[in-house]
Amino acid sequence: MRINWQPFILSLAVLLILFPFVYLVFLSLASEWRFPDVWPSYLGFKNWVTVFGSEAGLLSSFFSSLLISLSVAVFSTTSGFLISKAVFYHPKKKTLTLLAYFPYILAPVVFAACLSFFFLKMGLFGNMTGVVVAQFIIAFPYALLFFSSFWNEKVKSYEDLVTTLGGNKWQTYTKVVLPLAKGLILICFFQTFLISWFEYGLTSIIGIGKVQTLTIKVFLFIKEANYYYGALSCCLLIFPPVVLLYFNKRYVFKKLV
Amino acid sequence: MKIKKPNIGIVLFLLIGVVPFAAAFIYALLYSFGVIGVANNGFTLQFWESVLASGTFFKSFGYSFIIAFVAVTSSVGGALWITLKFRKQLEKQFLSFIIYLPLAIPGIVTGFFTFQLFSKGGFFARISYKLGLITKASEFPDLVNDGLAFGIILSFITMIMPFFVLLFLNVYKNERVEELSVLAQSLGADANQITRKVFLPILIQKTWVLIVLYFIFLLGAYEVPLILGQESPQMLSVLIIQEIKQYDLDKISEGYVVAVLYTLIVSAAAIVLFLPKRKRVYAN
Repeated sequence: MRINWQPFILSLAVLLILFPFVYLVFLSLASEWRFPDVWPSYLGFKNWVTVFGSEAGLLSSFFSSLLISLSVAVFSTTSGFLISKAVFYHPKKKTLTLLAYFPYILAPVVFAACLSFFFLKMGLFGNMTGVVVAQFIIAFPYALLFFSSFWNEKVKSYEDLVTTLGGNKWQTYTKVVLPLAKGLILICFFQTFLISWFEYGLTSIIGIGKVQTLTIKVFLFIKEANYYYGALSCCLLIFPPVVLLYFNKRYVFKKLV
Repeated sequence: MKIKKPNIGIVLFLLIGVVPFAAAFIYALLYSFGVIGVANNGFTLQFWESVLASGTFFKSFGYSFIIAFVAVTSSVGGALWITLKFRKQLEKQFLSFIIYLPLAIPGIVTGFFTFQLFSKGGFFARISYKLGLITKASEFPDLVNDGLAFGIILSFITMIMPFFVLLFLNVYKNERVEELSVLAQSLGADANQITRKVFLPILIQKTWVLIVLYFIFLLGAYEVPLILGQESPQMLSVLIIQEIKQYDLDKISEGYVVAVLYTLIVSAAAIVLFLPKRKRVYAN
């Protein structure tokens, strides 16, 4: 008789997927966990209480990250959507699209290192505005390319139809284009939010350690070998996207394939 | 009015999407030739010569290339296998959400987590000690910050394989591979032929641009190699940042040489990938 391995492999896969989440929560609850102990000598909410008592600045990092990511997502989705129209209806759209790919595929950290001089000159070095602007520069091409397939002949025909029927630009957008693009705009917002939320290299270069987002905190704790706080920052970093994913999973791949 | 509006859009596009990239590239280029920079006194090829002679760039590029290649091929291969074997189960309610969870974990967390598990004082070292496989931490094999980049490759695979599984599942559905397989079967094809002639060609063809894009992303990855990489050779981004941030002023210019070379390679890849095709729906 042939053994059916599928349930075992699938269960193993589920355990492997859940393991990092469980382990990080566990580590964030631990302290005094020295080699070779398999179990920590302390397990409780001490670290979490300290953090929410606003020591270690994790809570303020959480809100900085949130503010930066929301700003980047709002700016890049709005500008990406509006500007993509001009780009994808342009006769030279192939060349313009190609140009949009360059900043998008370059490693953000290298891009930031080469841009840092200009940020310094503009007074955008080491502050939150600078980090938002820098992240916007990499999130914008993503948003722009994201909307590439939205602007097609069908949408154009709808727009023409509204004009023929006497509608103005405002009505075209509010009554036709935006309702049609609603789903895509939401996904783009979600994706650009995540790009910013997960960003480390660029933020570390432009923020020079002064703008302490959660990813910067994780790395600082790793450097200090404070793994319990590191794990706690990881938890704060991954749980908001889990919630977002729960609401968005059905949309995440709609645009890609 | 009608002509003016698109022009504003294009001007804005150029301002946000093109000018920063061009400015960054020109700055790095001028720095690499000694035209600008704190201790530089005018045009020189010295930094280019020293980078090309030392071979650091080529070593680092080759190292990054191999790591990215191994990670992408293993992830794509694994994801294809999972899609082929477990597609039906993965569409069920519970699993269909679970498989999205890895997307919520960023590179820096993956790096941290891999370090926690595989370092000499990490989770697996503790278990090995308990099982009597090792007697002290130093006996545990080098699995992070190691020469073979085990930690980096493992992190990359865990980061991108779930993405490819989801991608392939979606292509499978959207391209109606199921129906095509049934058709092939009714025409007399066996399971093996269906896999080779229907399943693999459709899935690979529809996603190859994204596969190459992921390869390029991994080539320039920063956080994971920063946490899990070794001193030498380093992956490209880590090397560039380390050189640019050095106190040795000559090294800064050399860092910009590496940055220029890397940018040129990535740009060439973008041109090859995106220029000849009329429409690229699958790469956004």
